[in-house]
Order: sequence, then structure tokens, then C-alpha cells
Amino acid sequence: MFKRLLVLVILAALLLPIFAVNAQDEITLRWRTRPDNQAEIDVYQAASDEIDAAWDGVTLQYEPGGSETASYQDVLVTELTGGTAPDVFWIPGTDVARFAKLGLILNLNDLAAQSEGFSKDDFYPQIMEHLSYSLDGSDTLWGLPRDASAFAIYYNEDLFDEAGLDYPAEGWTWEDFRAAGEEITALGGDIKGFGMSNWWAPYGYFINAAGSGFFNEDYTGCGLANENTVVGLETLASLYEDGLAVPYGEDPEPVFHAGNVGMFMNGRWATPGVVANATFGWNVAELPVGPGGPSNWLFWGAYVVNANTEHPQEAWELVMKLTSPEIQGKIAGLGANIPSRVGGSGVEDFLATFSDLGVNNQAFINGLTYGVAENPVWTGDWTGIVTILDSQVASVVGGDLSPQEFADTICAQVDPFFATE
Amino acid sequence: MATLTKTESISPMRERKNLPLAIPASIVLNIATIAMSVLLALNVFDLDEFYALGDTVQYFVGGIALVPAVAAAAAIILLIMKNPNGRFLSLTLHFLGMTASSIYLLHIWGIFAGFDAIAGALYENSAWLWGLVIAYALYWLAGRLNNSKLLSSRIEMVAVGIGMLALIGLLFFGGILEATADILGKYDQLETWVATALMIVFGVVAYGMLMLGEYFGETTDQRTAWQGWLMLSPNIIGFIIFFAGPLLLSLYLSFTDSVGVKEPNFIGLDNYSQALSLQFTTQGEDDQYAQDALDAGYRVLETVTVGDKTTVIGAKDVYFWISLRNTFMFCLMLIPLATIPALVLAVVLNSKIPGMKIYRAAFFLPSVAAVVGIALIWRIALYSSSIGFINYALTEFTRFLNATFGTSFADTEIGWLSDTRYMMFSMVLMAAWQVVGFNMVLFLAGIQGIPNDLYEAAQVDGANQLNQFRFITLPQLRPTTFFVIVTTIINGLQVFNEPFVLFRGAAFPDEVRTAVLNLYLRGFQDILFGYSSALAWMLFAIIFAVTLIQFRLNREKTA
Repeated sequence: MFKRLLVLVILAALLLPIFAVNAQDEITLRWRTRPDNQAEIDVYQAASDEIDAAWDGVTLQYEPGGSETASYQDVLVTELTGGTAPDVFWIPGTDVARFAKLGLILNLNDLAAQSEGFSKDDFYPQIMEHLSYSLDGSDTLWGLPRDASAFAIYYNEDLFDEAGLDYPAEGWTWEDFRAAGEEITALGGDIKGFGMSNWWAPYGYFINAAGSGFFNEDYTGCGLANENTVVGLETLASLYEDGLAVPYGEDPEPVFHAGNVGMFMNGRWATPGVVANATFGWNVAELPVGPGGPSNWLFWGAYVVNANTEHPQEAWELVMKLTSPEIQGKIAGLGANIPSRVGGSGVEDFLATFSDLGVNNQAFINGLTYGVAENPVWTGDWTGIVTILDSQVASVVGGDLSPQEFADTICAQVDPFFATE
Repeated sequence: MATLTKTESISPMRERKNLPLAIPASIVLNIATIAMSVLLALNVFDLDEFYALGDTVQYFVGGIALVPAVAAAAAIILLIMKNPNGRFLSLTLHFLGMTASSIYLLHIWGIFAGFDAIAGALYENSAWLWGLVIAYALYWLAGRLNNSKLLSSRIEMVAVGIGMLALIGLLFFGGILEATADILGKYDQLETWVATALMIVFGVVAYGMLMLGEYFGETTDQRTAWQGWLMLSPNIIGFIIFFAGPLLLSLYLSFTDSVGVKEPNFIGLDNYSQALSLQFTTQGEDDQYAQDALDAGYRVLETVTVGDKTTVIGAKDVYFWISLRNTFMFCLMLIPLATIPALVLAVVLNSKIPGMKIYRAAFFLPSVAAVVGIALIWRIALYSSSIGFINYALTEFTRFLNATFGTSFADTEIGWLSDTRYMMFSMVLMAAWQVVGFNMVLFLAGIQGIPNDLYEAAQVDGANQLNQFRFITLPQLRPTTFFVIVTTIINGLQVFNEPFVLFRGAAFPDEVRTAVLNLYLRGFQDILFGYSSALAWMLFAIIFAVTLIQFRLNREKTA
């Protein structure tokens, strides 16, 4: 009898907490961004802790996204599908339209309108134009830009000296750029004049700087069927055809680090790597001016709010805090990111990075001012379009397709991706 | 007969006075299981959007959630009827309940998420592991001191002491106290108590039911059977939830327009039709380019010119066909490169020379090495056209030839990852390098299974080494060779890692887009889950058909 009583008492004691009430007043917000390295993770974590400490009633959980084995996008999409995505997360600018159209992110316009001191004008207008876009003309705000970036030419001063060339100066042109590439390649051995990666932005620069563009004026269709596209692609293809560039498709970054490339086109995110690896004199210059005028990309990504968040107000406040000049300045201090706010203390912090090395940080800031903002395609399928562009441009560079045929046929291939939406 | 009569007379089945406590406890727990199961099912049915999978999946999963309730209800009835099956069913349910609660409790404790921390703590305090090594060495030594039992037992005691000390040091400095405090800290949450309580209650009642074999007149065969099923049950449940379930789900999704994040619409065979649609047409005089000859929505897949006539083959999804072509090419190139060197290596390494195991391990190492690390080595250190070792070696070899023989071979910088002519070969080479070691082990096992008598008889008949290999080794290895080729083809048809890691970070060229890479890109890059599911099932059909043909051919040859 005693034994049975004991068992019942134990059972009752173990089941008692089921009826207990666990009061929880503190709101927990999860947020995520994609850092490039451990140093960035540390800065984001520190920023999260700092905001957390100063914010009563809210606890922040920072989750660095992406790893060698799981891409940021894969994990985020899977979690969104499963309903376990964070309250606030970062997405690339090109993904904003798709996420918004699928109803995955909140329209923050009303919350922003009620926020004292908030102004869209504090950020680069090219970005805010895309973040405020809506198909039905209603007032929208899909998020705030975490940071910005632009391309520049990283050049090897030693190779320029060896070839007897002046360093790239403001306003240098495609002709200057091509001539420098030829002279540096002529040094012989494994030396190449130029190197760039094979994704959409590097070849897009040649198309843009020639006076063309991926899209028509209102971004509702293909804009590549013109003579300027031919000029841009001819210039690009000739660099490879004449052996002036690191082969298309090969990662030029380690080759530049090894001192074998004269000019390397990449974004600000590449600067810490160059600082860490280059054993030669180097600096950066603005991209050369093409026949269509100066051109660059304005890369951006935005903090957005999960449409299923239970705390939209707090999530919006977190987005504002994460994009404040102080936080942007701290992150820019690492040297890989440029603040998305126009001017202010964050930009000063950015300009001060690597000042002891004399890095021309202003080249990136200048690039942002005329850069074409990474464009979310609201009336089409961006990934479908860019997959075809990548493939067709590779054919042009490889000599399997003429620039003229590209210009004549590309729109017939990508237009269905506009029509489907 | 007397014994039987005695057994029957004391059979607990007929003894109703002392009903074991475990039976009412089990009935109560089964009632609780029914309640939990029904609540779970109601929650599933009540969800507005069932993870964007649609009503069909929602009803199906809700129905599955009711299975434990049905099983528990059946168990109650059977227990009341004193049927032994009621005990088996209850036992299984309680065992699974305990397993699930334990896993959940470990999750709450942060054990799964803390593997990195545990590994880190062990690494930081790895010096203490030397104590365990020394202890093991002493213990091993003590076991070999047959002449002096006293000395042996003393050394054993010292070994145990050192081992214990090292273990305590490792745990203490590895943060066992902090970890314990952290786990105890989790008990400020209700769910920790609930999970603990459920684990104990399920465990205690399951144990109680376990002890009732005699009461239910259990036979040895019955005990063996339920023990087997009980041990298998977590695996079976895991298989159903994590393998069969997703498989069925992907089949269902392949008939929908699922984008993963909103409710899908049933579209029948549209996804399959989109992938398989081809158009064959002739390029007319008015068509400047092949693309002009195709209907809207089609892209040029291939053009074939015979005489003046150019036939244009268009496809709605050219990447599906390109990826299939690439995958078959990959397989065709991989089979010889992954099989013949493996066979040669196996023959060479089938020797009893000292140190041969080191060579075998060295060749096997790539099969178990992390693919990401390997890819970095291949991508930058080996395949880079300007700073890679392969081109460096080729350059040096060319220079050597030119200098030695007065030739004038040009130094060709091969673009292993950039020249479309070499991309596929680069992938195959890396894949073959990885898989050769594994295939070598299979061949080695096959060779060592060939009876020596055959070789001895051949030697008596005067057969040389080559003939022995040709007429004994190769025919005897037929089953192994068949297995190696089948597994190589199946793995080849599913190739993903090589193109993904060698070409990631930029646009994937068409030449490296394989079937699995394509369905991954369509699924996660384009977020077309329904479409990529259809691609996956078509790939499954292809692999199944290829394997079936191989089995048929092999059977005919063997017959």
C-alpha cells in the first residue's frame, strides 16, 4: 500500500508543474544577418548586446546566418516555409520584390509614419525608391538598408610601376583601362591586366557603362535590345579574347592576392581580404568611365520584418536601431561595408578605415552616388532572368555567341519571365 | 500433464485478485496519450495555413497525428480484455513516449545545440586526455604481466586511478559544473518539468508493463518478437517521419505550383510537361537566328544543320535537358576513371608487404575527407589556371621537354574551371579522386575472397601473372565489378557536390549544371518547390530505369 502511495505521490509531484503558471513579460526578438567572417559576427553580436542592454522589456537573439555548408538563403527559405524564421532578417536587394509579393515581409509604412525622427531621406534615394515600391501604388516601406556597397578597381601599384604606367586617375576612360590592361599583360609570365568574377554585376557594369541596361525604364521588360549592349559586350569580350584578363569563370581574387593581376574589379567587401593578403603596393580607383558615362552598381540589402512576427512594433524599432548611424559606423569600421545613410558619422567612420594604408575609400563613396541600385524586379522573376543572362554572356565571352546576336535574341528569351508574373 | 495443470492453476490471467498497478497506470497513461494525440490533431486541423502545404497535406498529417490515439484506445480495450496484445501495444506506446520525451528534454537542455561547445571544451582540455592514454597503456601492460599477479593488480589500480583522475580533471576543467548549473537553470521553465515528468512517467509505466510477461502468459517467441519490434520502433517511426513522409510530400508537391511559402494549387502534370516540352522546327529564311524560329516560351536547346536545312530543337526548360546531358556525360567519364584505377590499385595493394595498410589508408582518405576542404584545395591550389599546381607542373614539364629535346611546345594555360571544354573533366577528375579509394576497398575485398586454389591450379598449368589476372581475377570479380559500377553510376547520376563547391560563389556555367544541382537551384534559388520536386521524381525514374537495365543485363550475362 505504502509503495503504491509513494508512486502516486511521485507522479503527482512530477505532474504538478503542468498546472503552474509561467509568467513571461519579456519580449524576445530574433534577428539575423549574413556576416562575411567571424570579425563581423563579433561586431553584430556586440551591437545586438548593446541594443539589448539599453532596451527595457525586449531581449534580442542574434543569429549569424550562412555557413560553408548551408547557404543563408537556403536556411532562411526553409525556415520561412516552416514558420520558424526570425522576426527581423536581412535579404539582398534583389530579393525584396519576391519576398514582398509572396507576403513574407511586413509593409512597415504605417509604423514608420508614426516614428518620430525617422526620415527616408537619410538613406540613399536609389535604394529607398526600390524599398518604397508597390505594384498598386499604395504607400509602402519594405525595410531599411543595412549597408551599401559599390565596385572599384583594386590596382597593383607594383605592376603599374613595372609597366611604366600612371595609376588610374579620376575620370579615366575605357580606352585608358584597356591600354593599362595591355601594358600590364605585356609584362609576361602569368601576369594578367584585369580580373573580374562572372556573376551579373561585373558584366552588367560593362552593359550599363556603355549606355544600356538590363531593364526598360519602368523595369517591366527587357532593355538589352540595343546597340549600346553590343558595344559593352564587345569591350568585355575583347578583354578575354585578347588574353588580357584572368579567364572568365575563374576566381580572380586569389590571383590578385598573389600579385599576378594589375586591375581587379570587386566591391568594398573585398578590401579586408586584400589588406590581409596583398604583399605589394595597391590602392583602389573608381571604375573607368564608359561611352555612356560613369557607371557603377549600388549594392544593398535590407533588414525586413517577418510578416508572421508577433511583435511588429518592436521589430520595426529594432530595424531602426540596427540602421542607426552609430551601429552602421561600428560595422563600417571593419572596412567591408559602407553605411547606407547618406553622410553622417557612419560615413566618417567608414572613410577612416585603413587610413594608415592610404586606401582611397572615397572611390567607393563616389561610386555610390551614380551607381545603379540593385534592382528588385516587381513585374518579373529576377532569378529566371539572371540565369539566362549569365549563360548568354558566358557564351559571348567564350566566343560562341556574337554580341550582336546576344542583343538581337536576349529579349525574346527573358521576356517570358516578365510575362509570367 | 501435472505441470500444465499447475501452470494453469496459477496463471495470472485467471488470477483477478491482485491486479498489478502497472495495468491501471498504463490505462490512465493511454487515456492521456489519446488526449494528447487528439489535441495535437485538433491543433493541426485548426491551423490557418499549414506551413503553406495546403489542405490535403494538413488533413493527412492531422490523420497521422490521430494514430497514437487509435493505438492507445485499442490498447485500453485489449488490456481490459486481458489480451497480451494490449500489453505489447501499451509497451510500445509508452516506450515511444519515453523516447520522444527524452529527446525533447535533451533538446531543452541544449545538448544538441551544444555539441560544438562540448567538442570545444574537450579540445581546450585535451591535455587531460593524455591521462586516459597513459591509464590505458598501463592497463594494457598489466594484462601482459602474467608472472607477477601482485604487480599486475597494483599497476591496474594505478591505471584506474590515473584514468579516474584524468576523467574528473577533464570533466571539471571542461566545465561540467557550469554545464550542470546551466541544465538546472532550465528548470525555471515549465516545459523542462513537463518533459522530465513525461519521460519518467512513460518510463516507469513502460517498465511496469515490461515486468508483466508472466502475468500475460508470455512465451519466449513472443518476448523475442516484441523486444525486436520495440527496439526497432524509434527507427521505424523516424523512417516514416523523416524519409517516407518527405518522399510522399515531394510527390504531392510535384503536382502543385508550390513555392514553399504560400498554399499550393494542384496543377496536375504541368510541372512535368514544362520540363519535358520540346519543339522541333526548321529555321526559315525569315528567321535570322534560331531563336526566331521557335514559339514564345521556348529557348534554343540545340541546332542541327544538314545541308541547307537547319533544324532547331527548342525546350521550355532548356536547363532540364542540359542538366540531363551533363549528368550522363559525367557518369560516362566517371565510370572508367573511378573503376579502372581502383582495380589496379586493389591488385597492387593486395600484398603482404609491411606498411601496406598505410598505403591503403592513404588512398582511402579522400573518400572520407570533407568535401568543402577538398574543393578549396582543388579550386585554388590545383585548378587555378595561373597559380594552380597542375598548370605549374604542366609548364615545368613543357620547359623540360623543350630544353631537353629541343622541341618548341607552347605553354598552354588550361582553364580548368573557366574553359568550357575542361569544366566537366575537372569535375570528373575530382570526383574520381574521391571515389577511387572506396572502390579500391571493394575490389580488395573481392580479390581477397577469390580462393587461392584457383591461382595455384593456374600456376601448375603454367599461367603467367597476366593470364591469371585475365582468366581468374577479372571473372571472379564480376559481382564486385557490377556492384562498383552500379553504385558509381547511381552516385554519378546524383552528382551535386563537385559542381556546387567548385563553381559556387559565381554563376554556375551551363556546362556544369547537373540534374541535382539544377533541381537544387530551381528549389532554393528560384523558390519553385513544386517544380523542383517534379524534377527530383523524374531523376528518380531515370536512376531507377538505369539500375533496372543494369540488373537485367547482369542477370542475362550471369545466366
